[in-house]
Amino acid sequence: MNGKEKRVGVIKNIVVTIGSLVMDFMLCLLIQNIFSEATLVPTIVVLGVFLIAVFTDGYLYGVLASVCSVLVLNYAFTFPYFKINFTIPENIISAVIMMAVTLITCFLTSKIKYQESLKAESEKEKMRANLLRAVSHDLRTPLTTIYGSSSAILENERTLTSEQKRQMLLGIQQDSQWLCRMVENLLSITRLDGRHVQIIKVPTVLDELIDSVLVKFNKHYAEYEVSVDIPDEMVVIPMDPILIEQVMSNLLENAVLHGTGLTQIWLRVFTIRNQAIFEIRDDGCGIASEKMKNLFNGNYMSEEETTDRQKGNAGIGLSVCATIIRAHGGDITAENSKDGGAIFRFNLDLGEDDEHEESV
Amino acid sequence: MNMKNRYKVLVIEDEVHINNLLCALMDANGYQALSAHSCEEGNLMFASHRPDLVILDLGLPDRDGMQFLEEIRKESLVPVIVLSARTDEKDKVLALNAGANDYVTKPFGSRELVARVASALRTASHRAENGMRPGGKFKSRGLIIDYDARYVTIDGEEIRLTQTEYNIVALLSEHAGKMLTYDTITTEIWGYKDAGSTKKLQVNMANIRKKLGAKPGKQNYIINELGVGYRMSEGDD
Repeated sequence: MNGKEKRVGVIKNIVVTIGSLVMDFMLCLLIQNIFSEATLVPTIVVLGVFLIAVFTDGYLYGVLASVCSVLVLNYAFTFPYFKINFTIPENIISAVIMMAVTLITCFLTSKIKYQESLKAESEKEKMRANLLRAVSHDLRTPLTTIYGSSSAILENERTLTSEQKRQMLLGIQQDSQWLCRMVENLLSITRLDGRHVQIIKVPTVLDELIDSVLVKFNKHYAEYEVSVDIPDEMVVIPMDPILIEQVMSNLLENAVLHGTGLTQIWLRVFTIRNQAIFEIRDDGCGIASEKMKNLFNGNYMSEEETTDRQKGNAGIGLSVCATIIRAHGGDITAENSKDGGAIFRFNLDLGEDDEHEESV
Repeated sequence: MNMKNRYKVLVIEDEVHINNLLCALMDANGYQALSAHSCEEGNLMFASHRPDLVILDLGLPDRDGMQFLEEIRKESLVPVIVLSARTDEKDKVLALNAGANDYVTKPFGSRELVARVASALRTASHRAENGMRPGGKFKSRGLIIDYDARYVTIDGEEIRLTQTEYNIVALLSEHAGKMLTYDTITTEIWGYKDAGSTKKLQVNMANIRKKLGAKPGKQNYIINELGVGYRMSEGDD
């Protein structure tokens, strides 16, 4: 994959360089034929070299283009015409200037590109830091419940009524379940980080994925009905099934935890051209407009709702979703439907459509 | 069941808290728990007590749990339930292919674990008793498989399966309650496995699901575990 991208990059650079040079010289020839004075020619050549330096990667192409331009300029457009002659000082000086322009341009563009990649990297860092801060903050509450309740039960075994003990044990159970989900989310992120290359995609049968997601969802939220609408024919999507399962669980769970007044969840998957579109819609209260902007970058929780742990979870869950979907080369969006509920959509590539063999 | 007839369950787990929990759970559910904290200890306990079932953690301090599994599989068919983490499908598949009967993902709920233990013990005694004897039938919530006639019905209605589909359903039902990996199933059905065989299996499974009227997320006859394999839900006794 990486080698292929690199090759494509090299080809692009070569095409850009040769294309611009040829156009450049044609333009110069044209201009020389129209105006008798040749003063315009060097400026056009400098512009060409400048553009090449901007639009190619690294120094190589820019320098090659400028050497080439110097030679052509010397050969075709300066006195003595159609002869290489570097004895005239003017020609040498123009060659040096050309080189300098190229090198400076290359230096500047490389620097900008480097800074852009740094920015992207720091963006990722920022998200990770947000996540970490949110998680460590959020871990304290369930741990307090678990630690406090268990020691209370151990130390006051006789004085607590069995109903009180039961309540505390229930609290322990619920909060540790919450912790489990949080840890699963964090593990998903590390699963992404652990592989420096791309995620490993396995052909996954849509039916089986949905089945697996819903079986797990029903374990915790049996009282909510999810209506499923997926294609009748067998759809196979390349993905890391564990991670996509995590995304769908997070989205379904968010609908339940945050969709106040929710009565129904719709899960729909359909294919358009080479894409599978997943859509999770509910009839809850929808997403407040001020949260929309920071929904997927784990930011919004740091603003207000940190006191309510149940709410805080959404920020982490959604930024995990976004990280996973983007790592798959897809995109995730959120909007409110006309009737008020929230709609989350993400898309995955179907990959090359190999003929599936008939069963024997 | 009196004390003497209780099934013996050997728990091999190095985390003391989890070990305690597992043993307490086994005792509370009418099994006799034997506790070991390393492979070494597990081997000793296994040799001297001959347990009816083993619960095995894969990450043990002295040796890999997988190694333990391979060793006891050389001499015994005792059901083994492996404890593993969620994200390690590869470990699950390896353990199942090496002869583990089932796995339970950490962290687990007590009900789930107890159900798996009961199911593994039932399957083991089932297979020892009747296997695929003549006139054998598999029954589960309205689904009936008549092995002699190679005939499948749901609530009395005939389900028309192709040869391959029937073979898959029959294979899963013979091992009802046990998770079979893609590799196990393809090798059993086609006699070999290659790059395309999992895909072939998935295509057949998609047809089977449709014919058995499976609905995603509902209680289906065949349970699928992403990236691992399939399991037939247990038969009614």
